[in-house]
Amino acid sequence: MSLPTRKSRALRLGLVIAPLVLALSGCSKVSALGFPEGVTSVNDISLPLWQGAWIAAGVVGVITLVLILWPAVFHRAKASKGEFPKQTQYNVPVEIVYTVIPFIIIAVLFYFTAVKQNEITEKSPTVAHEITVNGIQWSWQFGYPEAGENIVVTGTPEKPPTLVVPVGERVRYTITSSDVVHAFWVPAFMNQIQNLPGVTNQIEFTANKIGEYPGFCNILCGRSHTYMRFTMKVVSQADYQQYLETLKASAA
Amino acid sequence: MTTYAERPVITAAPGIAPASKGKNFVKWVTSTDHKTIGYLYLMTSFAWFLIGGILALILRFELTRPGMQFISTEQYNQVFTMHGTIMLLMFATPLFVGFANVIMPLQIGAADVAFPRLNMLSYWLFLFGSIMAVSGFLAPGGAASFGWTAYAPLANSTYSPGIGGDLWVVGLAISGLGTILGGVNFITTIFTMRAPGMTMFRMSIFSWNVLLTSILVLLAFPPLAAALLALESDRIYGSHVFDPANGGAMLWQHLFWFFGHPEVYILALPFFGIATEILPVFSRKPIFGYKGLIAATIAISALSVAVWAHHMFASGQVLLPFFSFMTFLIGVPTGVKFFNWIGTMWRGHVTFETPMLWVMGFLVTFLFGGITGIILASPPLDFAVSASYFVVAHFHYVLFGTVVFAMFAGFYFWWPKMTGKMLNERLGKIHFWTLFFGFHITFLIQHWLGIKGFPRRYADYLATDGFTGMNMISTVGSFLLALSMIPFAINVWITRKSPKVEVDDPWGYGASLEWATSCPPPRHNFLSIPRIRSERPAFDLHHPHIKTEGH
Repeated sequence: MSLPTRKSRALRLGLVIAPLVLALSGCSKVSALGFPEGVTSVNDISLPLWQGAWIAAGVVGVITLVLILWPAVFHRAKASKGEFPKQTQYNVPVEIVYTVIPFIIIAVLFYFTAVKQNEITEKSPTVAHEITVNGIQWSWQFGYPEAGENIVVTGTPEKPPTLVVPVGERVRYTITSSDVVHAFWVPAFMNQIQNLPGVTNQIEFTANKIGEYPGFCNILCGRSHTYMRFTMKVVSQADYQQYLETLKASAA
Repeated sequence: MTTYAERPVITAAPGIAPASKGKNFVKWVTSTDHKTIGYLYLMTSFAWFLIGGILALILRFELTRPGMQFISTEQYNQVFTMHGTIMLLMFATPLFVGFANVIMPLQIGAADVAFPRLNMLSYWLFLFGSIMAVSGFLAPGGAASFGWTAYAPLANSTYSPGIGGDLWVVGLAISGLGTILGGVNFITTIFTMRAPGMTMFRMSIFSWNVLLTSILVLLAFPPLAAALLALESDRIYGSHVFDPANGGAMLWQHLFWFFGHPEVYILALPFFGIATEILPVFSRKPIFGYKGLIAATIAISALSVAVWAHHMFASGQVLLPFFSFMTFLIGVPTGVKFFNWIGTMWRGHVTFETPMLWVMGFLVTFLFGGITGIILASPPLDFAVSASYFVVAHFHYVLFGTVVFAMFAGFYFWWPKMTGKMLNERLGKIHFWTLFFGFHITFLIQHWLGIKGFPRRYADYLATDGFTGMNMISTVGSFLLALSMIPFAINVWITRKSPKVEVDDPWGYGASLEWATSCPPPRHNFLSIPRIRSERPAFDLHHPHIKTEGH
């Protein structure tokens, strides 16, 4: 093999390897990959899965990408190689390997998925608080049974409502709809569920960080779907009690 | 001594004097030639692609900055409803029918499809059904605005009154009948009209995928038709099929996605097939793992009817582990396909004519769409980003990556076969790179937009949401993407009078049977059919000294 060929081969090898090294070295500290950390119990369960799945996806994706680009770079037609390559059609051991490996990957992913989705959807026998979330065209009605049977905060598309919840205590949300399908989504909390007319859904979680988080209806519900927003306001337990008192007072 | 009758000499029909425009028009609209009908399908679906693309640009321009600049939220809903409907049911689905019509009979050595007149009827059903659905834009109250998913009860006459919705429902039912009849036609053709020697396991992968896609059409489109007709009965006769009081909200979601998920594979499989035709030709090798690839495609088709509820993870009403596991499982045969494609190029003599470049674009784009698909298959992760721009980005990577990249690959690859003219390579490469960067600038950023919390189907957002910068990048990308149609148009125009392709196989290493007849083929496709002794009859004919290494 002559020197220039070897040099250009090394150069082209570098072109393929460099992005791989860069991609892998970026993994030394796993970031939250777009989500805030520690904001809810669901977020605590899902975030490690999100990170793990992306690491697995990144490794598989980069390897596959390199395998796609490798022949595109190194196995180009050249006059010196003759017109035809070896006409290989089957290689059973290789075919078995590339069928079995994806099975193993999805088995691992499915194990963690199953464990975590059970944790997320699990219902406790008792919860600290109950809140109802009803979807209407095109806003939200948040009910606080603790403050009274008919205590409901109703928003409008122009004035989206605020859902006030206590920090550090498990809340059960009862999710309903008065008209069409809506969905209750707080992106930072890594959780959502549909408000279905004729069906009652429930979700439970604990908000763990005081603050305000934007929430949205994310199932198309008609003309002003875009304005069916709300603010999720996580407050201290004392503030929550006080908020319930205010609601009672305003109802009275 | 045995004597043989003299073999009759068959020559191509002598050139016919150019007919008048009117005669040509009548010839086209009354044709029963699968190629002509296929060209009608390809041209019509491409026209819908351009119309759907213009609607997409309207959406992108509206989203560039916070606030409503050009249209109202109601119009925005109409525009994205019709964008989705057009792209999926008037562009991508009939595009499959177009490619299948033109190429599949050639690949199996048939003179036409099994039911040529039914074929033309399918086309008219598709054309007029589609026009009907889109004509809602001219109706008082405008076009359908309940999303291409038409969730109940939003799509009923209480929440979406107006003739636009009815035109959409009935138009799709009519167009869907055309698709069903097309599926019947292709299945019958493949089972009954293969040339002597063309066994199932010598059939090219594209034709295999047409067969499996047609079977999926027969599984998926009748439930859609039933659901649409029941919805229309709710709308005009006041029946209660999708009444929420009877569980109608979930019933619609189940029926719709029982169609909707196989539909994704109806759109993907034929285009996987196109990529699989092109890779061996420009690697000068047979397909790697041909039988394994067919097994993988059968597995994908079978699994695709068992995963519909992964679109409904957030409904709180489906069995999460089952649908999650089934969805993960689809990753296995899809991975196998990737390795078949890589194995075909591996140690080949790879060249990058324009069709091959498009296939590389498909592989890279679809790879990323597949990876985000595995992420979304996990319900806890789906809860985080479902119905956000992350999902919008995911399905554009999957569908645009597959359908559009492979469509252009197929156009550049089969253009000489269809028209007798080669497309220009330099313009083809400009076209590819503009579209490639335009696409990735538009849609890559949308993954972050979704994680950040931008819901799909929102016409507007607040300046304080932090979505502005990413939306601007996406809109710039969409502009570049739209511009990429210009070099293609120029290409088609300037090559219309190029010298005619005189050889059967201008690429030199074509494998399947369409490369063993003239460009374009004669009326009944073949003057003579070569011996079919492998899955590469045209390659065997042109390169008889090259031996395929078996196991």
